[in-house]
Amino acid sequence: MEERTGGGCWGARGRGGEGRRRDARAPAWAGPHPKCAGGLGLQPWGRGPAGRAGGGGDAQRPPPAFGVPQALVDDTEDVSLDFGNEDELAFRKAKIRHPLATFFHLFFRVSAIVTYVCCDWFSRSFVGCFVTVLLLLSFDFWSVKNVTGRLMVGLRWWNQIDEDGKSHWIFEARKASPNHIAATEAEARIFWLGLIICPLIWIVFLFSTLFSLKLKWLALVIAGISLQAANLYGYILCKMGGESDLSKVTASFLSQTVFQTAGPGDFQKPGLEGLEIHKH
Amino acid sequence: MAKAAESSGDPGTTTPRPLFAGLSDISISQDIPVEGEITIPMRSQIQEFDSSTLNESVQNTIMRDLKAVGKKFMHVLYPRKSNTLLRDWDLWGPLILCVTLALMLQRSSVDSEKDGGPQFAEVFVIVWFGAVTITLNSKLLGGNISFFQSLCVLGYCILPLTVAMLVCRLVLLAEPGPVNFMVRLFVVIVMFAWSIVASTAFLADSQPPNRKALAIYPVFLFYFVISWMILTFTPQ
Repeated sequence: MEERTGGGCWGARGRGGEGRRRDARAPAWAGPHPKCAGGLGLQPWGRGPAGRAGGGGDAQRPPPAFGVPQALVDDTEDVSLDFGNEDELAFRKAKIRHPLATFFHLFFRVSAIVTYVCCDWFSRSFVGCFVTVLLLLSFDFWSVKNVTGRLMVGLRWWNQIDEDGKSHWIFEARKASPNHIAATEAEARIFWLGLIICPLIWIVFLFSTLFSLKLKWLALVIAGISLQAANLYGYILCKMGGESDLSKVTASFLSQTVFQTAGPGDFQKPGLEGLEIHKH
Repeated sequence: MAKAAESSGDPGTTTPRPLFAGLSDISISQDIPVEGEITIPMRSQIQEFDSSTLNESVQNTIMRDLKAVGKKFMHVLYPRKSNTLLRDWDLWGPLILCVTLALMLQRSSVDSEKDGGPQFAEVFVIVWFGAVTITLNSKLLGGNISFFQSLCVLGYCILPLTVAMLVCRLVLLAEPGPVNFMVRLFVVIVMFAWSIVASTAFLADSQPPNRKALAIYPVFLFYFVISWMILTFTPQ
């Protein structure tokens, strides 16, 4: 680490866009930093002692934006500041990062259910209602599989046929990395709740259709259940990743949701802990 | 570096020895093989490839899927031996065709309670249940095709029959009579043959050679039933 910054005592500076915010309480000229106990002493900003290993070439450094003397800033207390990237910062802080995707995730499912329940009020035509609900279910299946899963929770599943004609089902989960921003909790919660509750409602419709003997709706209800259950199953397999034991996964999922305490503005970013402090 | 520093330490000597002077004396014997491994971290490349479809915009996804559906329709209209229908299967085409066919096969009746409901659901059940049965049959015969691929091919090959339905409805606007019936019969037979040719072009290769007829016969029956429904349709 020392070599990378060219002098650990000074903290990192001058790296464009990734400036370090000075801790407000760093006192000026308070005394040698413990890391600098090798005898660098107190030097004015920008100049190291001559002949210091590896430091000769870059003795001149531009002063930081804040004008705080560098000698005594504690390296471990540096925090990152996103210079000039306010949009990205706002994007990272938002509770819901893809409002349109969230809206459509719920819109098609809920409107399919509402249309099925209220079709008698809108028009007496069986065919119109059937076609409308079927189209809504198909759009919902496509959008959840291809768009909202990708955007909201970073999961994806599809089918691939190789040259032998064998079909492979592929399930992917996006790893949290500095390039990709992890999902927020609100979005993940909305996603999974929407994914789980709607097939249950369609199963209720199945039983009501069977028992009230309105069998002409049976085809539609079965289509609805199969489309939504397919998405649910696909995403559960994505989430499980390498684990093939379903009971372990459900146990951990339940314990996570029961014991999790979410404070306001507190969302988890597993990959970015080293770069940012949580705001409370 | 060390040598230069050393030699600069005594000013009285001759010109300092050049750097790496002793290196030319070193020779590598032919007996010693020099080999090793170079590993290039591939991670960044994989991430880039992965994010090509993971982060594409929604519009790209929609256009990509629409183009795939359109291409498959073209392949059915001009059946050639190609893998497109099989490799990237999708069920949008069959859904659209099934809905269109079912809508056109409705009988418009005065009584709004029975407004063609049973016939509509009937067409759906026949098409989808029939396709599933054919797929199971071909898989049981040892066919080398996956479930959804087969559904895809069978669904897309309903396109000629849908066109036949459209033509029949137009012809039925004219006055009824034997000529009317002959025209419709001719159109339906031609389209039926087209469907059979298109589906066998895609499906036949996946069957073991001595079972081809056994696997194709249910397809024949399937399209025959649909053609029969189209031919005997009369709007009341």
